[in-house]
Amino acid sequence: MFGKLALQSLLDRKGSVVLSLMAMTVSIFVLLGVEHIRHQTKENFSNTVSGVDLIVGARTGSLNLLLYSVFRVGAPTNNISWETYKTIANTTKVKWAIPISLGDSHKGFRVLGTSSDYFEHYSYGSQHHLSFIKGKAFHQVFDVVLGSTVAKKLGYQLGDKLTLAHGITATSFSLHDDRPFTVVGILAPTGTPVDQTLHVSLQGIEAIHIDWQQGVKMPGSTITQAELEQAELQPKSVTAFMLGLESKMATFRVQRAINNYTKEPLLAILPGVALSELWQMMSILENTLLLVSALVFIAACLGVSAMLLSSIRERNREIQLLRVIGAPAYFLFFLIELEALLIALLSCVLATGLLAACLVFLQDYLVSHFGLHIGINFLTENNLYLMLAMICASAIVAIIPSFSGYHQARTVKH
Amino acid sequence: MAIDLKDVNFHYPEEPNQRVLHIPSWTLSAGEQVFIHGPSGGGKSTLLSVLSGLFLPSEGQVNVLGQRLDQMTSRRRDRFRARHIGYMFQQFNLIPYLNAFDNIRLASQFSQQKKTPELHEEIQKLLSVLNISANDWYRPARHLSIGQQQRVAIARALINKPELLIADEPTSSLDPLNKEAFMGVLLSIVAENDITLVFVSHDLSLSNYFNRIESLSDINRPEGSA
Repeated sequence: MFGKLALQSLLDRKGSVVLSLMAMTVSIFVLLGVEHIRHQTKENFSNTVSGVDLIVGARTGSLNLLLYSVFRVGAPTNNISWETYKTIANTTKVKWAIPISLGDSHKGFRVLGTSSDYFEHYSYGSQHHLSFIKGKAFHQVFDVVLGSTVAKKLGYQLGDKLTLAHGITATSFSLHDDRPFTVVGILAPTGTPVDQTLHVSLQGIEAIHIDWQQGVKMPGSTITQAELEQAELQPKSVTAFMLGLESKMATFRVQRAINNYTKEPLLAILPGVALSELWQMMSILENTLLLVSALVFIAACLGVSAMLLSSIRERNREIQLLRVIGAPAYFLFFLIELEALLIALLSCVLATGLLAACLVFLQDYLVSHFGLHIGINFLTENNLYLMLAMICASAIVAIIPSFSGYHQARTVKH
Repeated sequence: MAIDLKDVNFHYPEEPNQRVLHIPSWTLSAGEQVFIHGPSGGGKSTLLSVLSGLFLPSEGQVNVLGQRLDQMTSRRRDRFRARHIGYMFQQFNLIPYLNAFDNIRLASQFSQQKKTPELHEEIQKLLSVLNISANDWYRPARHLSIGQQQRVAIARALINKPELLIADEPTSSLDPLNKEAFMGVLLSIVAENDITLVFVSHDLSLSNYFNRIESLSDINRPEGSA
C-alpha cells in the first residue's frame, strides 16, 4: 500500500517526475557507459599484443619502442642489423621471432615489412590469432596483405595494385611507383593497430629500396622487374623484432642477455609491462572522464531532490491528511525517500536498457570506424556495484527533501 | 468520559507570548454528540489538533477516551489517533490521486488492525451504506463530486471503528441539498455505532441536529487569566 502511495503520487506529478527521471536516466547512462567503455578500452589496449614475450629494438625508451613497434606511432631511433637479428633468433631459448621493418607508408597507413611467421605467431586479445577474411598471406615479393580498416577505407579488393610511399606522411612525394604491390589478403578486424597496417614481406621492402640511397631514389636506375626477382633480396637490417620463447620462465634471462648484447646497443621490453606503463599515462584522462560523469550524476540527484523538495510545499494538505489518519512524522521521511528510490531504480532500468540498445546498434560502427571492440555485456559485477552505489547516493541526496517532509509533518498547521 | 480537559494552555513555540488556547475545564461523555460553533480564528483548529493528539498542550491535562495524550510519546499518540480517532476536514479529506477504495485502505494501514479480506468487505459495506455507487470506487478521488468526496471521507474516518469522531466544518463546501444528506447519513452512522462526535462549524443552522450546543468562546478563553 505504501509503495502504491509513493508510485501513485509520482504518477500524479508526471510532468516534473518524467523530466527528473530523464535527467537521472541520462546521467546513469553516461556513467555506466563511460565506465564500461573505460574497462573495455583498457582491456583492448592491454590486449593489443599478446603471446609475444619480448619486443626487441635499438636502444631507446621502452615506451618509444612499444609505440613504434606495436602502435605504429612515432619513429624508430635506429635499425638493428640483420646479423644481430639472426643471432638472437637462433638462440636455443627462442621459439620464434618476427622481424619488423617500418618506414614506408600508403596514403597515411603504415607499411610493415615482416615474415610470414607474423601471421602465424602474432596474436592479440586472449590469444586470438590473425585471420583472413579474404585471400591469404603474402608469398611473392610484391604481395601485400591489408589490415581491415585499410581495406575498408581505401576500398581495396583482392588483386588491386597499389604503390607504397617512402616515409610515413600521407602526402609523401617520393613514391615507390615503379614497383606496384598486389593485394593478396585482407585480415579480419582486430580492434588493434594491425587493422591500420599494410603487411609486405621483408623482401618487398628490400626490393623497393634496392636502387635508393640515403632515402632518395637514384636517377637512372635500370633494374627491371625480372632482374629483381632474380636478385637475392637479403635484408640488411630490421627495425625491431618480436620474440616468443620456449618457456616464460626464461623471459627475464633472455631480456637481460639482449640488453647486455655487446655488438649493438639493444633494448628488450616485456609488452605487458610497457603497455600498462603507457596506460598509466592515460589514467589522468580516464579519471577526468569518470569524474565528469560522476558530477553529471550528482547534478541529476540534486535535480531529483529539488523536484521532491518543491513538491513538498504543494503537498502540505496531503501531509496534513496523512498525519490525521495516523501517519507518524517519520512516515513522510520514508515516503519521500521511497519516491526518490523509485525514480533512481526506474532510471537504472531505463539506462541499462538504453545502454544495451546503444551497444547492440553501435557495436559494428565502433569496430569499423574507431577500431573499438566494445562487448555488449556491461552488467559486470563492477557495474552492478556502481549502480548500487548510485542508488545509495540518490537516497543520501534525497535526505534533504525527506527531512523537509518530516519537518513539515511534525509542525503541521491547519 | 470521552474527553476531559483540565487547565489546557497552548501557544505555538515560535510565539510564546500569544496564547491560542486556554481551557480551564471541559468534558464530553462517551457517546455524546456536541456541536461547537465559533468564528474562524478562535482557536478551533488548534483545539481539534490538541484533541486528536497532533499538538501537545503547552500546559494542562488532555484526557481522551481514558488516556492521557499529554503523557504519551509522539509515536504512541500517532498510533492512538489511527486506532481511536476519526477526523474530517472541510475539504481535502482524500488523497486526490488515490481512488476511494485505496484512500480508505490507506487509513486502515496505520491502525494495522484488520486482515485484507475482511477489510475489503468492510470497505465495500461502508461505501454502499454511504451511497457511493460501485462505479466510483476505483476512480481517483479528485474525479468525485464534493458531496461524494465528503461521504467517502466519512467511510475513511470510520474504517478503524473509532470511538471518537472529530469533524471540522465538514459541510462548509456542500450545497444545502448535499448538506442535508450528509448530516443525515453521518448522524445515523454515529448513533448506530455509539460514536462520540465533536462537530465544529460556524453554520448555526446545523445546530438543530444536536442536543448539546456550545460556543467556542465559552470553552476557550485565551484572553482570560492564566
